[in-house]
Amino acid sequence: MPTSDKPRPRKPSKPFYFNTSEHLLRIGRQKAATLPELLDAIKTCPEGSIFQHTFRTLQEHHFIRQGFSNDFAHWSLSACNEPILAEQLAGVDVREFTAIGGLRQRMAEIVDEFLQAHPQSNSHAANEPFYFCAADTLVIPTPFVADSLRAFLDGLKRVGVHSIHHHFIEARLRLHLMSNDFSQWLEEEIGLPHIADSIERIDIYTNTMEGVRQQIARLVEQAVN
Amino acid sequence: MTATASTAAAARTSRQLPASVMTPPAPSPPPHLEDYKKIIGQGQLDALRFLARDLKGKTIKMVNSTAVGGGVAEMLNRLVPLLSELEVPAHWDVITGGNDFFEVTKAFHNALHGSSYTLTKAAQEIFLMYNEQNRERLRFDEGMLVIHDPQPLPLIRSREANSSHWVWRCHIDLSNPDANVWEFLRPFVEQYDAAIFSSQSFARQLPIPQYLFYPCIDPLSEKNKELEESQVQKICDELGIDRSRPIVTQVSRFDRLKDPVGVVQAYKLAKKYVDCQLVLAGGGASDDPEGAAVLQEVKDAAGDDPDIIILDLPPWCALEINAIQRASTIIVQKSIKEGFGLTVTEGLWKGKPTIAGAVGGIPNQIIHKLTGVLVHSVEGCGFQIRYLLTHPEFAHRIGVSGREHVKENFLITTNVKRWLLLYQILQRAKPQPSA
Repeated sequence: MPTSDKPRPRKPSKPFYFNTSEHLLRIGRQKAATLPELLDAIKTCPEGSIFQHTFRTLQEHHFIRQGFSNDFAHWSLSACNEPILAEQLAGVDVREFTAIGGLRQRMAEIVDEFLQAHPQSNSHAANEPFYFCAADTLVIPTPFVADSLRAFLDGLKRVGVHSIHHHFIEARLRLHLMSNDFSQWLEEEIGLPHIADSIERIDIYTNTMEGVRQQIARLVEQAVN
Repeated sequence: MTATASTAAAARTSRQLPASVMTPPAPSPPPHLEDYKKIIGQGQLDALRFLARDLKGKTIKMVNSTAVGGGVAEMLNRLVPLLSELEVPAHWDVITGGNDFFEVTKAFHNALHGSSYTLTKAAQEIFLMYNEQNRERLRFDEGMLVIHDPQPLPLIRSREANSSHWVWRCHIDLSNPDANVWEFLRPFVEQYDAAIFSSQSFARQLPIPQYLFYPCIDPLSEKNKELEESQVQKICDELGIDRSRPIVTQVSRFDRLKDPVGVVQAYKLAKKYVDCQLVLAGGGASDDPEGAAVLQEVKDAAGDDPDIIILDLPPWCALEINAIQRASTIIVQKSIKEGFGLTVTEGLWKGKPTIAGAVGGIPNQIIHKLTGVLVHSVEGCGFQIRYLLTHPEFAHRIGVSGREHVKENFLITTNVKRWLLLYQILQRAKPQPSA
């Protein structure tokens, strides 16, 4: 019988603490009634607003499998009837950014380039304004702490989906790395870089957050078994 | 049509209600926090308990202007026991006033919604005098004081130098207020630590933080709890609703802003292509002259169509509304103007594909073609009824997503969490001494 050459999980020196984040939505001072106003506000709004309308909105709509990417894209289509711009904005993957500044710049570039290419869209009034919001956030622990791969799998299956979002999506802003808490721990503490890499490649835009959890769990189960 | 057939048709469009709904049922005992576990999951319950643990010993007081009737009282009836069960004791006081006070506050309410109004010195004095009386009568010892709506706004004068957090919870749409009334009230609002609105579009530019708390439903209330299939069938049988054919339903008061006549017209457009019944279930016609007039307009629009079922239900018929919604194939809320639209929330929670006017807080609930369908006209509504009835897979998919949207954002447990988060956030900004 051939022997498996896949790495064996090792005992972690540090446990994995499953946390979650809870958010309270704060109504901001800025709003946009046209695309040029949207562009101005994207450039000048607090970082918390960019976070809210990109990263956070994914958490709020975690149950939608496709068709929802970020609030800027959604508004461009639903209120401005600009499908080209909406598709371009929806194509931005928040996980390509480890800081809000880069994400803000990318969003602003897309709107700016669109308005230059479609000057007639500068003067169209939206059906309804875009209200800039931000969230006040509290990170709170869950009862789950993993000191082994099996305990990690158990915690992963039992925490709420907000915890999955916290560790898998929001984490890169904390880590400032193109990675997530799960992959970091599995690589550094358990010695499973290939599982860590596979997890990082899961597509969050064609899955619900529950689907993301199940895919991560399947990958970890392969290592446990 | 013969006289007999005409009478029968009229009877069908103006149903006699069964005796079972003519008297109010005994109230059910309020649910406990643990009862919500099967709905929101252990993780969310754990989060509530963790947030509450850090507030142990803190207290909250809610103040509004009515103990019964209306959405605010209904919500407080559920919210206050849940907060107390989490060991963050919540008290609820109701301000008092004479008829002259409530006439003034009703006028303020309408003016804040945009009606024209002449603010007199006398009205201001009445408003302030009763608030002074209430200030003397009530105590404000709690750690967080939540004042609901404009009626008790001047209670903020009791703020003094204590360390309580004062929050104004505004349930009404302030996007287009009468300028004089708003300028009279604004100085009180600005003394609060924070203001809370039900929609981004309802807020004003203020120097204090403004938060968004969506209105919510209780999934364990009579109107929203799960029902046995046999119970749904029994109620439909009693009300004469045929469950063997598609049912399109709008639940709302007989009020022009809910556009019930437009719903009849949309149904008639759809009915040319697909077989269905229309149920218009509401109230407000028996105690409101305008409601009675609207009901008559609806009956006239319905004509002799035996598949249009109009039910003028008493206000306590929550269980019947629940059963009708659950029996429905599609829920419609074709409002022309709307606050938040909790009937939309109720329909979404029951997993029903929902068609609604894109007004007020409805777009917060319905993400077009993802959690429901937004419409802007009778024709659009008629088309979407046809489309959903003939595309059951799409209808099912938006129904499932709609329910998840409610679970995430519009349940009372989410609102409990928001209150706990707000207290913690205010506490961090301005710490109070330990209890």
